[in-house]
Amino acid sequence: MILLPCAWCGPRDAAEFQHVGELVARPDPRTASQQQWRVYLYLRANRRDWTVETWYHRMGCRRYIQVERHTETNEVRHAGTSGVTGAAGVTGTAESAGPPGAASPAGPAGSAG
Amino acid sequence: MQASANGHRPGRLRARYPARYSAFGLLRHGLTDQDWPPAWRPRPMKASYDVVIIGGGVHGLAAAYYLAANHGITDVAVLDKGYLGSGGSGRNTAILRSNYLTPEGVRFYDRSIKLYQRLAASLDFNVMFSQRGHLTLAHSDASLRTMRWRAEVNKFEGVDSEVIGAAEVKRLVPFLDVSPAARYPVLGALWHPPGGIIRHDAVVWGYARGAAARGVHLHQNTEVTGIDVAGQKVRGVRTSQGDIATRVVLNATAGWCTLISDMAGVPLPVQTFPLQAAVTEPVKPFLSTVIVSGTLHVYVSQTDRGELVFGASVDPFTSYSMRGSLEFIEGLAGHVLELMPALTKVRVLRQWAGLCDMTPDFSPIMGSTPVDGFLTDVGWGTYGFKAGPVSGEAMAECIASGRTPEIIAAFGLDRFASGALVGEKGAAAVGH
Amino acid sequence: MTARGARKGPAAMRLSQQPGEVIDRTRELRFSWNGREYPAYQGDTIISALAAAGERVFSRSLKYHRPRGLLTATFHDPGCMVQVGDEPNVRGAHRLVSDGMQVCSQNTWPSLRFDAKSVNRLAGRFLTAGFYYKTFMRPRSLWPAYEAVLRRFVNAGSVSPDTAPGRPEKRYAHPDVLVAGGGPAGMAAAVAAARAGARVLLVEEDHKLGGHLRWGGEADLAVLGGLAAQVAAEPDIEVLTNAVVLGRYDGNWIAVLDRGADAAGPGTGTVRTGAAAERLVKARAKTLVVAPGLIERPYVFEGNDLPGVMLSTAVRRLISLYAVKPGARAVVLSANADGDAAVADLKRAGVDVVRVEDARLGGDVVAAAGRGGLRAVEVADGTRISCDLLVTAVGWTAPTALLNAAGDRPVYSAHAARFLPDPARLPEDVLVTGGIAGDGGIDELTEHATATGAEAARRAGRIGRARALACPATRRAALACPATRRAAPGDSAGAEPIAIPDLPVNPHPEMFAGRTHGMVDFSEDVSSKDLVGAVAEGYDSVELAKRYTTATMGPLQGKLETVNAAAIVATATGCSIAETGTTTWRPPYAPVTLGALAGQVHEPVRYSPMQPWHEAHGAAPLVAGAWIRPDSYGDPAAEARNVRERVGIIDVTPIGKLDLRGPDVPRLLNLLYVNKWSKLGIGRVRYGVMCAEDGVVLDDGVTGRLGEEHYLMSTTSSGAATVWEWAENWLQTEHPDWRVHVTPVTTAYASINVAGPQSRRLIERVTEGVDITNEAFPYMHVRTGSIAGVEASVLWRIGFTGELSYELHVPAGYGLHVWETLLDRGADLGVAPFGVEAQRILRLEKGHLIVGQDTDGLTRAFSAGLDWAVKLDKDDFAGQPELAWQLAAGVGERLVGVQPADGSVLPAEASQIIEGGRIAGRITSSRMSPALGRSVCLALVDARLAEPGTVLTVLLPSGQQIEALVMPQLAHVDPDGGRMRV
Repeated sequence: MILLPCAWCGPRDAAEFQHVGELVARPDPRTASQQQWRVYLYLRANRRDWTVETWYHRMGCRRYIQVERHTETNEVRHAGTSGVTGAAGVTGTAESAGPPGAASPAGPAGSAG
Repeated sequence: MQASANGHRPGRLRARYPARYSAFGLLRHGLTDQDWPPAWRPRPMKASYDVVIIGGGVHGLAAAYYLAANHGITDVAVLDKGYLGSGGSGRNTAILRSNYLTPEGVRFYDRSIKLYQRLAASLDFNVMFSQRGHLTLAHSDASLRTMRWRAEVNKFEGVDSEVIGAAEVKRLVPFLDVSPAARYPVLGALWHPPGGIIRHDAVVWGYARGAAARGVHLHQNTEVTGIDVAGQKVRGVRTSQGDIATRVVLNATAGWCTLISDMAGVPLPVQTFPLQAAVTEPVKPFLSTVIVSGTLHVYVSQTDRGELVFGASVDPFTSYSMRGSLEFIEGLAGHVLELMPALTKVRVLRQWAGLCDMTPDFSPIMGSTPVDGFLTDVGWGTYGFKAGPVSGEAMAECIASGRTPEIIAAFGLDRFASGALVGEKGAAAVGH
Repeated sequence: MTARGARKGPAAMRLSQQPGEVIDRTRELRFSWNGREYPAYQGDTIISALAAAGERVFSRSLKYHRPRGLLTATFHDPGCMVQVGDEPNVRGAHRLVSDGMQVCSQNTWPSLRFDAKSVNRLAGRFLTAGFYYKTFMRPRSLWPAYEAVLRRFVNAGSVSPDTAPGRPEKRYAHPDVLVAGGGPAGMAAAVAAARAGARVLLVEEDHKLGGHLRWGGEADLAVLGGLAAQVAAEPDIEVLTNAVVLGRYDGNWIAVLDRGADAAGPGTGTVRTGAAAERLVKARAKTLVVAPGLIERPYVFEGNDLPGVMLSTAVRRLISLYAVKPGARAVVLSANADGDAAVADLKRAGVDVVRVEDARLGGDVVAAAGRGGLRAVEVADGTRISCDLLVTAVGWTAPTALLNAAGDRPVYSAHAARFLPDPARLPEDVLVTGGIAGDGGIDELTEHATATGAEAARRAGRIGRARALACPATRRAALACPATRRAAPGDSAGAEPIAIPDLPVNPHPEMFAGRTHGMVDFSEDVSSKDLVGAVAEGYDSVELAKRYTTATMGPLQGKLETVNAAAIVATATGCSIAETGTTTWRPPYAPVTLGALAGQVHEPVRYSPMQPWHEAHGAAPLVAGAWIRPDSYGDPAAEARNVRERVGIIDVTPIGKLDLRGPDVPRLLNLLYVNKWSKLGIGRVRYGVMCAEDGVVLDDGVTGRLGEEHYLMSTTSSGAATVWEWAENWLQTEHPDWRVHVTPVTTAYASINVAGPQSRRLIERVTEGVDITNEAFPYMHVRTGSIAGVEASVLWRIGFTGELSYELHVPAGYGLHVWETLLDRGADLGVAPFGVEAQRILRLEKGHLIVGQDTDGLTRAFSAGLDWAVKLDKDDFAGQPELAWQLAAGVGERLVGVQPADGSVLPAEASQIIEGGRIAGRITSSRMSPALGRSVCLALVDARLAEPGTVLTVLLPSGQQIEALVMPQLAHVDPDGGRMRV
């Protein structure tokens, strides 16, 4: 698989990581409307373009990293531990960027057996 | 003596279009050495159509066919940026089944199976639907319980499914390792006789031919670059081959659906993941059912040409790449050999990928959108080909009548805003 | 002598010693072919040995069962697929003979010579490609019968159920430069890269390095010797022969298939042969040099698949490598220098070359004729020449698969009659050299390859350094220590790119298809007539034509047929080849066994320190995810009864455990759980439920406070990793300012649950430093102390089974000791182990839900009867807004306790609950209760049916319907929970 630049471990095979998802701003659950909350749960940009996303180094340092990847060529540029590079459609800093894929931590394949 | 075929003699074009296919026809064409007439003819693109369907795969073509055949709506264009069936329709592993988990899911896919059963005759094109039976293996108590759940819902809806034990699984598939010594022993399976495989390209071609014969225009190598919306109504589409004015646009582009939908200003809760598959060299037929293992994330079938066709679950990260990965083929091989260790010397010939539009509840998004005239038939994830006929039929009705047919009522786009998600997560866990 | 043939007999066609031959005449072998014995020399391939004996027919084609022989004499020879022992589809022109080998032809009956299915040939004109789409549609009921007939005609080897699984190890390699192709260009590039300081992996598909030099003649052999010496002199070049690059994946992640050392090589130790020898090597190369050479193309004309029609490569290899005379009387069609060289080789080998058709001067072959083998050829001027060998040299195909995978789009050159790589589209880490990149003499090719290799090494250095600098962790090391090896590539003066000279591209006539229709895809029996017909029917792009006719979809994976197919489609559509393009090349480049791809099994099994005890005492194993647990010790009902009446112990080590430390732990607990945690006192334990952000129940467990800033959280066993990652996600990305440390201790502790009325007495006996009285240690409290002499053990009172119970967590190494101590000290109390099944019965009697069984992917907390737990007036917690909305909207379904009216009927789990002709719910858990002597269940039902006293209709799998009653609470036994609190 592609190489991801883990901030702590250096360039590692993406198979060591779990893809968490696009970085999205988490609305304040106390004030968000149903519409806004469900946009946060279910809507993603899904662009064929550079995308800022979170990966989790599951078989390594167990830290979450943010990576900018092009979803067609799978090239990776910019990686960091936190902060957002201002890619289109994504706002905020680490404080307001909630855990992406928050709807279900288990990911699209469903719950564990 | 070798059949002589010196040179190529272009035959007289037959007056009747499309030609009727039959064994007699084969005989006559063979004897007279004539060409068969084209299955579809290229047409010049018009400046406007009543309906524009974006996506020339099974969903788009079926919708076009049923618009013409069931509703007499023929001023229809189907646009595809590549050749017909170049997307998921040409890349899937062609497994058909209706053993879903929810009642609405079962009814929906059962309708599809019934349409598939009649398809060769209705389209006059042999789509080779082989209803050889479908086995979903259970390797844990929880899995067996889910199989029982599916079997009960299936039976209630009149679909043939039942839970069988390991011994009977072995009888159906002698090559399968059902011993308790396996890492994940087979405890039983969901046996679904109506399931099977089909020649996926033939379905695309059959629908294309049928639609074209009824006046639908098929425009290949035509990429949509924009959708004109004014006052929340569709006005037209812009393409690489020119602009088209229209009031009705159907988005049937699967893995690319958000790219198209964004053009109309309709965001979709879809993420695109590659789904890979692989095929081996032909070996003498030994497998007569379709096998799926949820725990091992793998499914296997054998074509009439003897090739084994494999698939697994979607790639672990979103991407628009159809290049395939080494990890996929390694993992797949490992799991296949856990199920059938005797296949160790069989060789893989090629691997490929298609794109899957995954939704949060493993169910499609069908029907109207907040933009008037812009309809969707997307969100097909790893189970789109199975639903081609019923989706085409339903979307045609939706377009013709202006109302959402009951059979797709649960799949509306608005369910995400209202929170009424469909519960198919269990059945779709590994695709097929 | 008839043109039909050659003499037959063991060495009938063997030539005298050839310079450069690979056979060892001092070592004779014997093998069998279709039951007859044949001789061979060490180094012979199966086909070369058979050809030496005068055999010409080796297989029958797929559809028409036409006899097939040698075409290319390489791995990719369509007529040479045979079965060796239980291994199907062996490439006979590549596989070396080993002594005693049993070889037979595939799918021929009754024999290769007279195959009954060859009657298909007569029907050939009716069975054009795609014929099956036009028939067999009616009557529908006969399709399975038609299918059965089609399947009988599968032309392939067979698999045996007795084949032993092979699990070869895989290898990882980290070369700086990987060179794909060991011909002169590949060798020169490898040497140059190594001299520039790179670590090189050189991969060659054939059994020896050298490519076309090996059959090129004395001068070429001399050049080969020089290059081979240079390669051998570089310690940093690893050479893999009989190995092929399968694919180049993103990031230069390259799969190499190592087919094993030559059976011939002396001193190779254990000899692995055949499919069992295949091994995968996975290489993360910094740069890839693609030097695969060119593959010769067949010519399309009538009879081009007859045995006796060969490519120039084939005859030159046969003569020079294997000392085999390819035929007696030959006609040659030559469009290039290789064809001319083949003529010379044929004459040298004593073949009577009766006619040379020079395509550059208008020569051509119109058709070949013969029955069972070539007998005559019709040439351009109409002459019909009898012969037994027809050699064509009409051009080359560039095997661009690796380049395509890297993003290249090769461009067709009509001038050169082949596709050429487009260097502008190649990424930085892929370079190309050799015949695939251009033409030229050996000096020009070597010069180009040398520059390419050096540049590849330079770029490898740069790439490696850039990767290291990109990560904070490796940056400092990279900056501090730039050179770790001699003249590290890319370091010193290597900052400037090395200029790679251009290669000339020589003109070549475009010769794809002749004047008559012939085979395009030999493996699939697809002729040019089929392709033209497909185009006429509307399948007018190369992709549609391929799918309709199945051309390029056979075992050759397109190597010999892709460009010819494109040319024919181009002509039929009136477009140029450049406009038409080719079908997509897909990995693997060569076929690879499932065994090699799978490698060894890496499915770890987890079991607790007590599992061996369980198995020794008759416990049936239960597979629970990665864990193996004791399901029961023979009688789960008795085990359950013993817990209710005396005391039982169960191994619950797989329970997820997280050690939480820091001042902000309560904030984390409040965030993750739906209930309140700020005021949990030291020594207290609380049950908690976790929901995801859509309100769906994620996990449940208990968390206890062991100290001021020290907590221990438990989760379900299947949720252990998920919850840990969930917690880390929140802490790292949302609240990095919180001071919490999370340490997974699931496997650090062995966990035992001691349950039953006698459990306190048993615990007293084994515990030190803890006051066990109910007053000092109430229900839902936690203590630490010494258990069975083991310090730092954790002990808490919780009640999953509904009885007085204690859960012990001891450092894992002492698990078995504590287990055995409990059994020993409690013997008089009636202690006995109980398994997971008994636990399930007990918890069901108490109405305790299991997440994932009594809840599913859509069950929100309120539906699961967890209303009491959800505290909506808390600050932000996971699931809050959705749960509030669920409460307001009304819950759709509810979890309820259910008892069938007839207590002796046990409904299967997942039996459906029906009402008014619709499905309204299902039974989620169901067991016979030993305590009550009747069946008890939990069910999820529509909220309308959830009122206590409602009579439900349950549909059993048998079709029978029964009645069942909704109970006032989930617990069937001791609903007030008094037994847990004594």
